[in-house]
Amino acid sequence: MTESIAKFESKIQKKSASAANKNRKISWLLLAPVLVFFAVLNVLPTFWMLGLSFYDYTLTSYKPPAFKGLTNYLDFVKNEQLSSSVSRTFIFLIIAVIFQTLLGIIIGVFFWKNENMPGRRLALTLFFTPMVVTPIATALFWKLMLDPTFGVVNYFLTSLGFNRTDFLTDSKLAFPTLIVVDTWMWTPFMALMTLAALGSVPKAELEAAAIDKLPIRRQITTIIWPHAKFILMLGILLRSIDAFKTMDLTYIMTNGGPGDTTELIALSLYRFAFKSFKLGYSSAVSVFLLFIAIALTAIYLYVLNARKKAEESA
Amino acid sequence: MKPSNDRAARITLSITCWTTSIIFFLPIAWIIATALKPKNTVLDIPPKFFFTPTFENLIDALSFSNTLAYFVHSVIYSFIAVFLAILVSFLASYSFSRFKPAGTDFLMFLLLSTRFVPAAAFVIPFFQLFNILQLKDSFIGLIAFYTMFSIPFSVWILKGFIDGVSSKFDETGLVYGASRVHIMFKLVLPQVRSGLVAAFVFNIIFVWNEFLFNFQLGGLKTYGIPVGLFTSITKGGQVDWSFVASIGTLYVLPLALVIYFFQKYLLVGLTFGTVRGEV
Repeated sequence: MTESIAKFESKIQKKSASAANKNRKISWLLLAPVLVFFAVLNVLPTFWMLGLSFYDYTLTSYKPPAFKGLTNYLDFVKNEQLSSSVSRTFIFLIIAVIFQTLLGIIIGVFFWKNENMPGRRLALTLFFTPMVVTPIATALFWKLMLDPTFGVVNYFLTSLGFNRTDFLTDSKLAFPTLIVVDTWMWTPFMALMTLAALGSVPKAELEAAAIDKLPIRRQITTIIWPHAKFILMLGILLRSIDAFKTMDLTYIMTNGGPGDTTELIALSLYRFAFKSFKLGYSSAVSVFLLFIAIALTAIYLYVLNARKKAEESA
Repeated sequence: MKPSNDRAARITLSITCWTTSIIFFLPIAWIIATALKPKNTVLDIPPKFFFTPTFENLIDALSFSNTLAYFVHSVIYSFIAVFLAILVSFLASYSFSRFKPAGTDFLMFLLLSTRFVPAAAFVIPFFQLFNILQLKDSFIGLIAFYTMFSIPFSVWILKGFIDGVSSKFDETGLVYGASRVHIMFKLVLPQVRSGLVAAFVFNIIFVWNEFLFNFQLGGLKTYGIPVGLFTSITKGGQVDWSFVASIGTLYVLPLALVIYFFQKYLLVGLTFGTVRGEV
């Protein structure tokens, strides 16, 4: 009797084992196309880049690549121009993201408080359009508007009694102007994230608080913030990552100038690769940026998981 | 007393919201206005705020050598690449969601990180790779590139949506003898339709807007709209702002329409599928 039960059990186990085996096959079969794309168009270029970063290879010199070990990395660390464009990028990122977050929260709260306003969808469309316009177009549009002679911005400035200003070639103004344009582009994104963050607060808790006549400050600290903080954090992170990548905008608006006042790291990198053709050297810089991106992704997913856990325990 | 106070507050709030929206849209409105102005009045000082609109510039821009071709190229590579990406991503995210093969989390992590690297970092290896494979200025090369470009976002968003479909559907299907293909495409797919729409619309926008790789890996046969915008400024000796504004207008109007019609997907779209919810 016990023997036959044991037999039966082992039979079931075998069956489920073969089912698991079959499932494993299916799962890899389904993954295969994505893995092929990933291997050819991502892993391969990454290793290529890693390999190149150890070589001295300049396209214009017609010399074969020569192995140089870590020299490129050491040069990069020592290069003051590059390290200053890295720190400039972080300054840009921090100031721009702070402005966008503050403005975005304010505007987001306005729209959140005003769910039944007339034409809300159209208003939001107008408001959201700047962030889906490609930076190339944004840069061109602002170049036209900021033009010192016929630009519309200068027209208003002079009619208000200010001096005619060339925002993009003035070494004091170019960087702040870049931040203003970036803020115009991305404040809608932070407002969108604010709306989503506020939308993630359970309605029932808000209603209960309203019935209890909880003061607004307590409402924020005890109900809104614990729920909303995650999406807001994700928004800030995504925005930081994106600001760190900024290139098209500076490329067209100022091309890093005047001097190097708006030279951000992504643009420096592009120039090393395609103006001076120092492939080995710029690969070393790329590897550095790759590591930053991986670190930022890890932080991003950490917050994402924290949110999941908080939701599950709630 | 109270209700009328409330009403006044609501009206003030509505006006504030509308004003904000209009202020943010003004620069784009100015470009559209510039495109609609008669060519000889574009650089007038003071700028003309009232004028009889003309479509001449738009028609001129469209008939200028490559403009139309740029739009056609963009449509070709973005639609094919995004369709391919969503197809393979659907298979992969079904696998991630249902079978959780070893390394699922790590692969999802790597996929997302590829979208966080500055584009300039990857241009060199791709440039050389495309030279060796002789894929420069070819649709096959660009479509392959943009498919990979769209996969991370598609996998993230579709996995989220498939996770939301109970695996009871799959089990019931299996009990009734349905094949995996049938389960995936007839039982699960219809339930993640909004995920598919979001992934489709936003990947199209991302690919549509991508400049650097199109510029470096493409050529006259494959350049898309962003390159068209970029080169519009160098057309001829002096910058022809009517032309730039016209191409900008032709580029921006479809985007504004997309935002209007697909507004509820905007959030999931701009967070690479990591955050869900409606606005």
